[in-house]
This record gives sequence, structure tokens and C-alpha cells, in this order.
Amino acid sequence: MRKLAGLAVVVALALAGAGASAQAPRAGGTLRAVFSADPPTLDPAHATDTTSSAVIRQVFDGLLELDETLTPVPALARRVDASADGRVYTFALRPGVRFHNGREVRAADVKYSFERAAKGKRPWVFEKISGAREFIKGTADGIGGVRLVDDLTIELRLDRPFAPFLHLMAYDAASIVPREEVEKRGPGFASHPVGTGAFRFASWRRDDQVVLERFPDHFRGSAPLDRVVFRIIPAEITRFNEYRAGQLDLTDVPTGQCRSVQNDPQLRGEAAVWPTLGTHGLRFNVAKPPFADARLRRAIAHAIDPTLIVERLLEGCVYPARGILPPALPGYSSGIRRLAFDRGRAKQLLVEAGHPGGRGLGPIPFNFNTGDLNQRIAEVLQAQLREIGIALELRRLDWAAHIKVVDDGSAVFFRQGWIADYPDPENFLTVLFHSRNIGAAGNTSRYRNAAVDRLLDEADGMAPGPTRSARYHRAEQAIVDDAVWISLYHYSSRALVKRSVKGLERSALSSAPEFLAPLRRVWLDR
Amino acid sequence: MRRSEGSGSIADIGRALLGRLLALGPVLFGITLLVFLLNAIALGDPARAAMGQRADPEALERLRRDYALDRPLAVQYVTWIGRLARGDLGTSFREQRAVAEVIAERLPATVRLAFAATLVAVVLGVAAGALAAVRPGSALDHALMGAAVLGISTPVFWLGMMLALVFAVTLGWLPVSGYGGGSLRHLVLPALTLGALHTGTVARMTRSSLLEVVRQDYVQTARGKGLPERIVLGKHALRNALIPVVTVIGIGLADLLVGAPLTETVFAWPGVGRLLVAAVGQRDLPVVMGAVLVFALVYVLGNLLVDLAYLVIDPRTRRAAT
Repeated sequence: MRKLAGLAVVVALALAGAGASAQAPRAGGTLRAVFSADPPTLDPAHATDTTSSAVIRQVFDGLLELDETLTPVPALARRVDASADGRVYTFALRPGVRFHNGREVRAADVKYSFERAAKGKRPWVFEKISGAREFIKGTADGIGGVRLVDDLTIELRLDRPFAPFLHLMAYDAASIVPREEVEKRGPGFASHPVGTGAFRFASWRRDDQVVLERFPDHFRGSAPLDRVVFRIIPAEITRFNEYRAGQLDLTDVPTGQCRSVQNDPQLRGEAAVWPTLGTHGLRFNVAKPPFADARLRRAIAHAIDPTLIVERLLEGCVYPARGILPPALPGYSSGIRRLAFDRGRAKQLLVEAGHPGGRGLGPIPFNFNTGDLNQRIAEVLQAQLREIGIALELRRLDWAAHIKVVDDGSAVFFRQGWIADYPDPENFLTVLFHSRNIGAAGNTSRYRNAAVDRLLDEADGMAPGPTRSARYHRAEQAIVDDAVWISLYHYSSRALVKRSVKGLERSALSSAPEFLAPLRRVWLDR
Repeated sequence: MRRSEGSGSIADIGRALLGRLLALGPVLFGITLLVFLLNAIALGDPARAAMGQRADPEALERLRRDYALDRPLAVQYVTWIGRLARGDLGTSFREQRAVAEVIAERLPATVRLAFAATLVAVVLGVAAGALAAVRPGSALDHALMGAAVLGISTPVFWLGMMLALVFAVTLGWLPVSGYGGGSLRHLVLPALTLGALHTGTVARMTRSSLLEVVRQDYVQTARGKGLPERIVLGKHALRNALIPVVTVIGIGLADLLVGAPLTETVFAWPGVGRLLVAAVGQRDLPVVMGAVLVFALVYVLGNLLVDLAYLVIDPRTRRAAT
């Protein structure tokens, strides 16, 4: 039996420094936060974006949540026990927890919420539970592996052990919703959410602002903040101006200003850069010529020098990459060797592939989605590959069109960023490279490597530890050596936070301006 | 006698109006067909776009069915037109709410902004144009016309950023952005930004039209009667000079509609322009169709209003109608 109950709640890292966190939280005030886009929905079953999640995480709770170290800790569940074979998880719910409408949470709410969300936009969160696939397909009336033991106990049975399962239970898609409110409001639940969270929904004027207010009866006690206002400001320069005018308490640093805010006498102490769980990469469609030939892929990998992109375009405010997993991800290995920048080796590989000096290749289309940074990166790549005789033809499409040509396999060489949904290597390596996930499910390289599949399958089912990590490392190294994916850099969050904001987590899951960390510990010192 | 003439002119105007309104139908129909076809040839799938970085194949299929994207294009379009005939604009893919509701909650913001921008253009533009025309070739004339050209040629986004930087961040006189629950202070900078191009064209047109008019015989007569120049220009000349200006205002509506998404973006203004841009990015076809329809309607009705305005300003059109 593995117990998670009783894990100490780690004191939130205050952005303003350790001295501040020693102060007692002061109650009251409104946190003025900001989003770059209007959330499409506030319904956990239908959200697929971080903006929606940033609100959902304040309004709802799951059985578990992630602490600052990205470890699942109890939330609505007061404890969880896992069976020795790792296939059965029993959650004991905290008694007396109330929804915002005053009703107490029961185990039946968990079953209802999971079955509802399994038919939403992120069914993969629930597909590991026995019988979920049948239920999602519509051939079963409920998820067979979900069993109500009593009013406050629920048992989840998996088809096979899946190590990151508790991470899924801490994910916002697995938030607990009250059935009567969902049924009463219908699709309107997405614009007027009701959960158990530390903040309850107050108002939402589309494209203007979302307002939350403190829920005094939250099971962890009342949060210090009275209200949270998320302004919706699409232009990054406008967010920056609002912040400088004193109208926002936190925001993101505009592109190209990372160094200048750190040197600005006023903003210096308010700027923070920290690693997040994402990697900016280049991918090949390995199922199609010319990149079915690994030598050609390796030639390109050796011809690219990401230093220029990291240091010049991104002002050194992102993290250089060796492998695929970002350093902030639990399970990251610093022992991965990337295919080093080496034009001589690149040219030699071109010769071996039968294309000396790039002969016979013609211009190679490179697909990327619209954005200033993506455009500049594409131009750098074009210049670097020209050095070994390869001509890139830049193809810029907006996101909807880009993802289409990437998913359907018509793009042969393209950019793709990946941000972990939950902090586990499985969410990078298995999703992006297992042959089971070819296409829109994540493996847009259309990579098939039986040895890699086997390593990933084994690791996915193992309990966390060095044996599991070692398998992921072997798989990751094999993928890097095969040059299926070329990492350019790992993402960072570049934020500005007023000194008066205390207790805001710098979680690797958050990326400014959307802070996904819980705001229930945040307080204002003004 | 006059009475019957009058009612005859109103009937004529009514007939002309009715004709214009009837022509509206085919125009709007053509526009919807065009937008639908453009969307059909554009790459991208609304169901996939709604999924984020990772799409579950079964959820994708279900969403395509829900959005009725699995049906032939012609069927999709005919269904949409059929609903429209019953006054139903359909349901937004992205927000899963009625398109009419999605647009209606943003329309007041856009109307306010467009109205304020037009007001800025008319008041500032006519004033600047008239001042410049008083002494053509003077330093004041050059300065005002220089400013007008600047207003016309400055990119909306850049102008908005600069105005915000000076008046909001540096001087702190006005808010940087936002709707502010409809406060006038929040409206000033967006209205100036969106109205700038328009102000420039109106100023230039007022000036050239005034200069044209002051050479006319009746103005010379007014001067000959010994009327002060202020009255000559203000009363006799300006009124006639405004006729082409009204045309410019009508044509300028198109510029307002083009500028609205940019102004709304830089000032975080919750209007239809921003909605349209986001909907195109998400391939939220029902919202795109609905928003384009609203813009087209505003444009056509706006021009109709301009035609009516001629009748008020220009006595000749009234006489011609009788």
C-alpha cells in the first residue's frame, strides 16, 4: 500500500523572496491578473487550453492536486491507497466538503464527473480506467472500472498499471462537478461554473474580464484574496503597458524585452524567469521521403546550431536542450547526448545518403505556424541549412491550418512545441513517439520503432524509480539518435509580478501570463 | 400645393429606400456564399482546432458529428441558410452558445467605438479642414494637412500603442485599455486611434471642397454683400462644401470596419472585430458567418444613411425628388 495522505503542504515559494514568506498573510484585496485570450470555456470537461485551465483550477478541485514539486497530494480525497499490483486505487473523500451551492460532495459526484468528462474533449485522461474505452465508444452505460464503495469512498480499477495515473487524477479535466448544476444549466455551465474551489465564479464579460470571488466555505479554509480579476488583453504590449501603469499585478514579459526588463531599475526586482515543462522542437515525417532516411535527418540535426536561437532570438531567457524532456520535468536526465552541431559530419552524412552537397533534394518545405518568433527561427534554420547545401522553402500557416498538415502527414519537416499536460516522461515520450499514437494523438513524426515502443510500454506501467527512469532514458536517447525530433530549446516562463503579491507559486506548470498554480495562498501586501 | 409636392417627395424617397433594402437580400446572400466557400478552401478543421496540442481520434470524430462537419458542404450551407431564414444564426463551435448571443454581447462595444470614431472624424476633420481652407498655403494649412496625411498613413496598431504610451503610461491621464464597464474615459484613446485615418480623409476633403466652393458665384455674392468672412465661410460655403464630405464619411465606414479588429486588439476592447479575428483563427465558421453578416449589414445600412443625409444637406436633391 502506498499512502499519499499526510504529505506536508510545502510552503509556497514567494516570488518576492524568502523574507516575505515569513510574514503572516493579510486578508483582503483584489488580485489583478491577465489572460492573453478569452477562455473558450470554463467547463473542465471541455477545456483544452491553459487559459481555461487557469480559471478551472481556482473554481474546481480534483481528488488530488500537484504541489510545488509537482507531486500529487490529496485535495478532495483525504487519502489514496494503491493496490500492490498498481491496478486498483481507492480514494477516501474528505467528509463535509461543499460545492459552491452548499451541497456536500459524495463519491457519486466523482463517478458522474469522470463519466461526463470522458465524453468531453480530453477522454485520454480517463482511458486507462477499465471499461472507459467501451463507455467512450458508447458500447457501455458507465465506466466499469469506477466503483462506489460507500458514500465517501470510490475505487478506480485500471486495465494495466499506469504510473502517472495519480497525475491524471490531479489534472483539471478530472475536476469534480455537481450534477444538479450541470443539468440545470446545460451548456450554460461552461459560462457559469460551479465547483468546490477556493474561488467561486462571479462574472464574465467575454473578451473583457473574468471575475472570481473568495469561497469562504472552502474545505481548506477561506483564501486571503477577496477577488481575482482576470483581464483579457490580447496584445502583449498592452498587457505590459497596463502593468507599468499599475493596473495589473502580474503579467508576461513581451517578446524581445527579457533582458531589458531585467536591466530596468524599476522592473528588475519584479521580473522572474523560470523553467516550464515544454520543448520547442523540429519534427520530420519519417514515413515519407525524403526523411524516411535517418542519415538525411541526422545530417540536418548536425547542421543546426540552436545557440543562435537561444542567445540571440530569445536573449538567453530559455534553456538550451540536450534531449527531449525538459529539465524541470521529474525524470529528466542530464545524460542524454544530442547530435552536436558539426557541419563536417552533416556534409558527410549527406554524401552517405546519396545527396552530396544537397544534390537531388530540391527545396524542402518547412512548415511552421504564424508568429514573429517562429518566422525568425525558420529564417535562422534556412540560413544554417543553406551552409550544407539544403534549401528550405518556408511555409507559414496559421495554427488551425498548420496542425492540419502536421496531423495528416502532408508536412515533411515542421516545427512543433510540446508542453506536458502532467509532469511525467510518459506524457512526452509515449504520447509523441509511441507507434500507437501516430497522427493527431501525438506521434506526428509517424515514428515506428518496436524497441522504443517496448521500452515505453514497460516504463509506463512501472512504479516511479530509477528502473523506470532508465527505460525512458534509453528510449529518449534512441529517438534523439534517430533524429526523429530535434530540440531547439526548453520553454521558460517570463513573468513580471508586483512586489506586493505574496505567495504566488513559480510552478513549472505555469507559464505567464496564465499562472496555473492555485491562487488560494496568494495575498497582497499593500 | 406645396403639401402634395412634399408628400410626393417622401413617397419617392420611400420607394428609393425600399429598392435599396430589397437589394440588400442578394448582396448579403452573395457575401455569405463567398465566406462559406473561402472557409471551405482554407486549410484547417474546427474540431481539430478546438482540441489543443493533442487530439483524441474518437473525440475528434464525435465533435465533427456534433458540428455537422461530416456532411457534404452543400448540405452544410443550405442548412445554415435555412436556419438563417428563421432568424437563427446557429451555434458557435468554440463557445457552444448561440451565435446571435455571442455577437449581441459584443456589438454594443463595437457600435460605441465606431460611433465615437466617426464623431472624432467629423468634428476634428471638418474643423481642421475648414481652418486649413481659411488661408490656403499658410503655415497653419501645411501643418494641418501634414497632420491629416499622417493620420491617414499611420498604421492603426502603431498609433494605438503610441497614444497609450503617451497618454496612459507616461502621463497617466487615461486608461491603457479595457472597456471599463462603458466609461467615457476608456473610450477616448480607442476612438482617436480608430478615427485617425478617417479624420485625415475628412479634413482633406473638407479643405479641397471648401476651396472649390469659395470660388462659386454665390459665395462671391455673399462677400459682395459685405458679409463678414466668418459668416461667408461658416454659413454659405461650409454647408455646400460638406456634401462630398458626407460621401467620404460613408465610404470611410469600410475603413472603420477594417480598423476595428486592430483597435479592439490593441485596446483590449470587447467588440465584434476581435471576435471575428479569433473566430477565423479557430475556424469557428458559424461565428465568422454571423460576424461578417453583421459587418456587411452595418456597411450597407451605413451607406443608406449617407444617402438620406444628402437629402438633408443638399436642397437640390430634395428639389430633384419633387
